[in-house]
Amino acid sequence: MANANPIATTRADPAFPHSLTISVPLPTPRLATTLMRSLAVDQELSPLVHRDFHAHGSTLVVSYKATTARMLRVATNGVFESLGTLLRLVEELDVGVMSEEGL
Amino acid sequence: MIALGLEGSANKLGVGLIRHSPGAPAEILSNIRHTYISPPGEGFLPKDTAKHHRAWVVTLVKRALKESGTKIADIDCICYTKGPGMGAPLQSVAVAARCLSLMWNKPVVGVNHCIGHIEMGREITGADNPVVLYVSGGNTQVIAYAEQRYRIFGEALDVAVGNCLDRFARTLQISNDPAPGYNIEQMAKQGKVLLDLPYAVKGMDCSFSGILATMEQLASQLLTRKPKPLVDSDGNEVTKEDLCFTLQETVFSMLVEITERAMAHVGSSQVLIVGGVGCNERLQEMMGLMARDRGGSVYATDERFCIDNGIMIAHAGLLAYGTGYTTPFEETTCTQRFRTDQVHVNWRA
Repeated sequence: MANANPIATTRADPAFPHSLTISVPLPTPRLATTLMRSLAVDQELSPLVHRDFHAHGSTLVVSYKATTARMLRVATNGVFESLGTLLRLVEELDVGVMSEEGL
Repeated sequence: MIALGLEGSANKLGVGLIRHSPGAPAEILSNIRHTYISPPGEGFLPKDTAKHHRAWVVTLVKRALKESGTKIADIDCICYTKGPGMGAPLQSVAVAARCLSLMWNKPVVGVNHCIGHIEMGREITGADNPVVLYVSGGNTQVIAYAEQRYRIFGEALDVAVGNCLDRFARTLQISNDPAPGYNIEQMAKQGKVLLDLPYAVKGMDCSFSGILATMEQLASQLLTRKPKPLVDSDGNEVTKEDLCFTLQETVFSMLVEITERAMAHVGSSQVLIVGGVGCNERLQEMMGLMARDRGGSVYATDERFCIDNGIMIAHAGLLAYGTGYTTPFEETTCTQRFRTDQVHVNWRA
């Protein structure tokens, strides 16, 4: 099961001074890529927010930078909520889990 | 072929599993739903609705698989509502659909919500080529099929009829459980007084915002009794039930009129009513009277299929998939605006 421990660290960027990097450790690289691809399809709604995804081995890294603290908060709140659903999906509905239940 | 369908464009989260076999009617393996019901006097906001869908999607998908005994290996594609609808709720379901697609290694099919309603209505009722009245909280359209497109003949110019009903319900604090429209319908059965409302049919189209404004005024007068109590022409005080009755009779007459206009234009005698408001038995009755006068008939489904559900998404998606259509993964986005006639209906002649 994946225990998500987001480690938030900040990095300075003059044009987008407010930033947050979230690292989500997962059991396998496959799961990191699954989460990344599921999230990456949707564009960021605001031009004031930039977002990057990387899968480093089994760790999903999501980097946000925004022009204001409020924009950053809104964007990262959204991704945390999506992450919550995705983690539950991979925990309870993955092929391995379901085959144990005969499905 | 078996498809999993995920629907979440408004406050209903629906999950459906359907099987298509050649030469046989569609088989419903599972059709379950959970509705986000807001307190009386309140509507449902996108953020809270999306939160509800995220909280329930795993439970519903699991239950659908278990109750039907469907194995992941048997599923051919994952269908989801691409639009139209509310942004955040749509997106919350799309993210789930993508994840399932990647975990299970299945293609994704994005489905137009309106087409889902139409195709499920056709499948369940067996109506061959009817004029379709699609009426819900988010949509009001009169649709006829021609040359591989569902063409919009007429529609609400401002808000949908269901939206008008739902927002009126808030003014009287009518319960949203199970749905405001359902409770308005029950109350209307006890109403007798027909007050004067604006009647806004504009050719093939109609408009509800003026009617809503008037209803809000009447509701306020009924509740506050200012500047004076709300009475009918005989001086009797008007009840909440009378207001419900007045609103239904007026807006449903408008819907019957624009539907009849489309039937005359197209030369059809069949009407198929789909969408949540289509559950309303008074609307079905009024439409039936009109259709019978024209030597035709009305087709409607029950609340399993009228109200937003996952099976209609699975069904319409599987119809498209059967013609070789899938949505490329990078295009599995959502859109709040998605016209019914944008879809090339290549599974019909």
